[in-house]
Amino acid sequence: MSEFKMTTVEEMEAATNRLLETGAKVGADAWQFRVKNQTPHCKFGEQGVCCRICAMGPCRITPKAPRGICGCDAHGIVGRNFLKFTAGGAATHSDHGREICHTLYCAAEDGNYKVKDPEKLLRIAKEWGVETEGKDIYDLAHEMAEIGLMEYGKPFGYQRFLDRMPEGQKEKLIENEIAPRAIDREVSTSLHMAHMGCSSLPEALVKQSLRAGMADGWGGSMMGTEFSDVLFGTPKPIDTEANLGVMVAENVNIVVHGHDPSLSEMICEYADSPEMIAYAKEMGAKGITVSGVCCTSNEVAMRRGIPMAGNFLQQENVVLTGACEAIVVDVQCIFPALGPLSKCFHTKFVTTSPIAQMPDSEFIRFNAETAGENAKAIVKMAIENFKNRKPELVHIPDMKAKATVGYSVEAIVKTLDGVTNSQVDETGTTKPLLECITSGVIRGAVAMVGCNNPKIRPDYAHIELMKKLIANDIVVIASGCSAQAAAKAGLMDKSAKDICGAGLKRVCELADIPPVLHMGSCVDISRMMILAAELAKDSGLQINQLPVVGCAPEWMSEKAVSIGNYVVGTGIDTFLGVDPYVSGSSEMCELLTEGTRKWTGAAYTVETDIEKLTDLMIERIEEKRTALGI
Amino acid sequence: MTLFERVFNGNDAVYGLTEQAIDAAIAQHGEEKAVSFPNTAYCLPCYYAVTGVKVTNLKELKEALGVVKTLMTREPRLNDAFMSGVATALCAEFIEALKYIDGATPYEEPLYGHLADAVIRELGVPLVTGDIPGVAVILGSAPTVEEGVALVKSYQAQGILVTLVGGICDQVAEAGMATGANVRVIPLGKDVTAVIHVVSVALRAALIFGNVTPGDAKTLMEYTMQRVPAFVNAFAPLDDVIVACGAGAIALGFPVITNETENIARVPKSLIVQEDVSKFNATSLEARDIKIKITNIDIPVAFASAFEGEIIRRGDMQVEFDGSRVDCAELVHTVDASEIEDHKITVVGPEVDDMELGSKNSIAYVVKVAGKNMQPDFEPVIERKFHNYINCIEGVYHTGQRDMQRIRISKNAFAAGFRLKHIGEVLYASVKNEFEAVVDKCEVIIYTDPAECTRIRHEVAIPTFNKRDDRLNNLTDESVDVYYSCILCQAFSPSHVCVVTPERLGLCGAVSWLDAKATNELDPNGPCQVITKERPIDERIGEYEDVNEAVKRLSQGALEDVSLYSIMEKPMTSCGCFECICGIEPFSNGVCIANREYAGMTPLGMTFPELASMTGGGVQTPGFMGHGKHFIASKKFMKAEGGIERIVWMPKELKEFVADRLNQTAKELYGIDNFTDMIGDETVATDPETLVEFLTEKGHPALGMDPMM
Repeated sequence: MSEFKMTTVEEMEAATNRLLETGAKVGADAWQFRVKNQTPHCKFGEQGVCCRICAMGPCRITPKAPRGICGCDAHGIVGRNFLKFTAGGAATHSDHGREICHTLYCAAEDGNYKVKDPEKLLRIAKEWGVETEGKDIYDLAHEMAEIGLMEYGKPFGYQRFLDRMPEGQKEKLIENEIAPRAIDREVSTSLHMAHMGCSSLPEALVKQSLRAGMADGWGGSMMGTEFSDVLFGTPKPIDTEANLGVMVAENVNIVVHGHDPSLSEMICEYADSPEMIAYAKEMGAKGITVSGVCCTSNEVAMRRGIPMAGNFLQQENVVLTGACEAIVVDVQCIFPALGPLSKCFHTKFVTTSPIAQMPDSEFIRFNAETAGENAKAIVKMAIENFKNRKPELVHIPDMKAKATVGYSVEAIVKTLDGVTNSQVDETGTTKPLLECITSGVIRGAVAMVGCNNPKIRPDYAHIELMKKLIANDIVVIASGCSAQAAAKAGLMDKSAKDICGAGLKRVCELADIPPVLHMGSCVDISRMMILAAELAKDSGLQINQLPVVGCAPEWMSEKAVSIGNYVVGTGIDTFLGVDPYVSGSSEMCELLTEGTRKWTGAAYTVETDIEKLTDLMIERIEEKRTALGI
Repeated sequence: MTLFERVFNGNDAVYGLTEQAIDAAIAQHGEEKAVSFPNTAYCLPCYYAVTGVKVTNLKELKEALGVVKTLMTREPRLNDAFMSGVATALCAEFIEALKYIDGATPYEEPLYGHLADAVIRELGVPLVTGDIPGVAVILGSAPTVEEGVALVKSYQAQGILVTLVGGICDQVAEAGMATGANVRVIPLGKDVTAVIHVVSVALRAALIFGNVTPGDAKTLMEYTMQRVPAFVNAFAPLDDVIVACGAGAIALGFPVITNETENIARVPKSLIVQEDVSKFNATSLEARDIKIKITNIDIPVAFASAFEGEIIRRGDMQVEFDGSRVDCAELVHTVDASEIEDHKITVVGPEVDDMELGSKNSIAYVVKVAGKNMQPDFEPVIERKFHNYINCIEGVYHTGQRDMQRIRISKNAFAAGFRLKHIGEVLYASVKNEFEAVVDKCEVIIYTDPAECTRIRHEVAIPTFNKRDDRLNNLTDESVDVYYSCILCQAFSPSHVCVVTPERLGLCGAVSWLDAKATNELDPNGPCQVITKERPIDERIGEYEDVNEAVKRLSQGALEDVSLYSIMEKPMTSCGCFECICGIEPFSNGVCIANREYAGMTPLGMTFPELASMTGGGVQTPGFMGHGKHFIASKKFMKAEGGIERIVWMPKELKEFVADRLNQTAKELYGIDNFTDMIGDETVATDPETLVEFLTEKGHPALGMDPMM
């Protein structure tokens, strides 16, 4: 039996350094250099005390100038900035969800997009009280898509998915004015509140931040996830590989990057067609390899086992291999740097969404109606680009790890069914997991999410945190770039059970799972909310009583703040490794780290020392256990 | 209180008792007093397996307790609970060991207490073949005697080995249930600490079959979890001590099923609360992923491998059939499919009802088979299973084979409605079930009419046997094109591979070349695969390139090369369930052989368990070799070192068993008459000096041979 070996951050850094040498040869820029140019960062910006919402300023708060021209103090400025930041994230995720609703609306029996999981559609329809009897599945899909789209702008009522919460929680959210109404309304209201001359009361701004976040997590993101499953299939455990070594030198390499699976699903479909493979061979390649970066990668890995080339801060590396024929992007987290970088190589940088248009890219406008043709054109373009490779620049780091991914809530429940005993247990619940937690075999769960951020040594926080958590019998569920960090390190290899504590190790063995479960892209953090709700319902507890916390140690985007707000809004304590530009206000700090508890039972903890961050999470989990007497 | 706290409390309590017991023993006997269990080569087996340290006296035992204390950490993590469970088990072993001081016999029938190494080695084959599909450990008192007995019987009927600890021992005794290793129900003892005797079996299995290095606790626990299909049924009430023992069991991978509902946590597949005792069986099997091979046979008594060892005494016997006194025979006969009516069972002659109570009668049963893939070579393979099939019938007993079989039917079985036609049912169902790949149709005719039996025996059976013997005599390693691998034991001994040749059967004694051939025919991807022998490297020791390649592949690279005929150079490995072990005896240039049943000392200064502990686990140990009894008379027996001439000592019983064939081989090879008379046994010598005197007196040829080392 071979010993389990992880890929270390040092090894990954060495591989990156080797790629930067290639970059140096062709005069390529890279984030590592740009970070240097941008350092030190603006202190006012970092503390959140710079206000640019009207043209009287910009105003910045200092001890000598404690108020802006309008008279707003640091607390109001930091609060408004925080709310606007959240609104940006909520709008982004939710718009992604809206695109998916639209794709569902375009689904047709003989169209580009089909309903791959009709059972899930029927289940959601039932939840929403939509009549399904005798209805054609596509008619139902269109009806559901329309209802979904209405969630963005409906004049009255709250988000439908709030009914998935344990009893009483929705009512409590309504009472505290945190229950989200129409998604677009919450974004608009946020921007309205943050307008010059509106809210400057930190408490009100934080509450609306939570509500905007909730509109994302229990609205836009959840629809994005649920309808993606309906369209592309609900993920189930599948084996794949992660890190740059998944690219194949002899093949045409197409890298998909971004967030929306509508594009990448089509690319995968065509890249796998005999016609395109034959064409690639004709053009001198051995085949076609599609790999992914960022959350688009998570989407296609979860559903198709498409390998993951890397996460957020590795996006330039795929081009630096010199073996990338095309990097095809949709929306979010795409470095504009890819344009100029691709010009240093033969790589085609293909933008596809009107939402994300960039200089130095080839724009092939992608839409649901013409998806097939668009995808085919892109794959063809990549194949035809193979001959333009410069062999002397090709270097793919020989580095990849095995990973089992695809743990949707449905897949987790099914996995848990596998350890039930038909003589005593019911199936289809999270109870086996609860039994593991109650007995102490597993101490709790941590939802690891979020991005990379150069402020933190890339992937280091994700990986070190997870290692320590699993060694302490805490199961990790991960999504987004955090999940990819885990996969690259080998933590999603089932053999990683060997570095777990005895309890988690035993659970991994019995359930045949890796200790870090890949739950999807960042939109799929909604899956984690559903799981938490199911755990609460199955245990008769409230979500905020569960020994479960969330953690984004290397977060960077507005979306991440929106996520943080809905995780806290859902009742799960959230631990951040990067300060969300609020240190300039003691009141905001107090509200976010303690004040929200009175509304949701949860709050933030910010700790930039990663070692301490882990200990704080373990402590919190043990506190929750003690409170439950388990 | 949390589950872990209960484990810690229970562990602390047992530790305290152990410390007191050891101190008291030291005060009474002094530190140098020897401590051991009988009939084991592994000292205090659990402590030895976990730590790699052999405890031999009270002083060392006290030191060992200090080591146990280091396991008892108290963080709220499963590892701490597991280690405290293991610590509890080790304490139990210490307490039990103290009971055996001065050769005391703390357990009287029907209680067993410590189980000998030989018992474990015997369990090896049935465990890997699934004849024993699992091991149940039942702890405490069932809510009622009836429920307890019903549970034990339910496992017994599935062939599961049942061990009993605590009140259940009295409950089965009260119900008058027959217990013992032969019926696979073993009451260990009434104290909870007696549970260690079954843990000891599991851990010794890891050392014997798994080649686990003593002290490698991690590998040890992986072995028990993956390969020992044991589980625990613990009756309410569970006190902290039992909960702590349970943690130890779960650490080893054995789930605990209990009807306790108060203050108990549930853990999937590990700690399961089943309030309904009548569902313990189903719950346990599912928890341990044990699949029972279902052979539904329509007979009025039970049919299970647990009854294989059952003995029917004369007083309990309704009738018997005895081939040594009257004409009997058992025969598989291949015929054309058109000559068979499938599932037809005919009795020609009187039924048991017409026979006098206690009478001796004739019987001959002919099982006619047909099938596209059937070969006459498979006839004896199927026929040899009859012993096993008939013995699995509750209340029926079978020994011998061919025309020398003896069958007894008990009064109870007869009273339950068992008749001879049911033997036909059993033979039909079992043959069809086990040999479905070669037997398409099957019909059974049972003759009890004495004249018919005489006819069948002399006109049909004996000529067939003679023909087969001629064929077998012509079957030599040289006369066949291929050998077979047997990796049946890999479930238990992951790197062991047997190479089965016509003149060298599997070391367990259960797989001959023909068996392997049939097994391969039944399942070409199964445990027996064809090994070619086209590229010899060294004919003297029987080494072939293709055999080496196969062995390397089948052992997953653990074995590089192997010889078929040498015990000194690249000898074949052992899994651990060998019938015999031979080891070199340097004073006489010969080898001594001991069989598993032999409990005494050998001239090598070691008992069978001690000898056996030197090999096994799939590793090569030059100078020692496990093998089957029938290999002893083979012309290929350590041929490279000179062959059977090297045999200088065997237990008397074994010597008698192999005498005829061994003498014949010696005559053929060396022209020596009555060679077995030259071989020593325990009545002659159990030390090398006396043995050499005896050999010199007899002029044993080994003395004049070259030294083996």
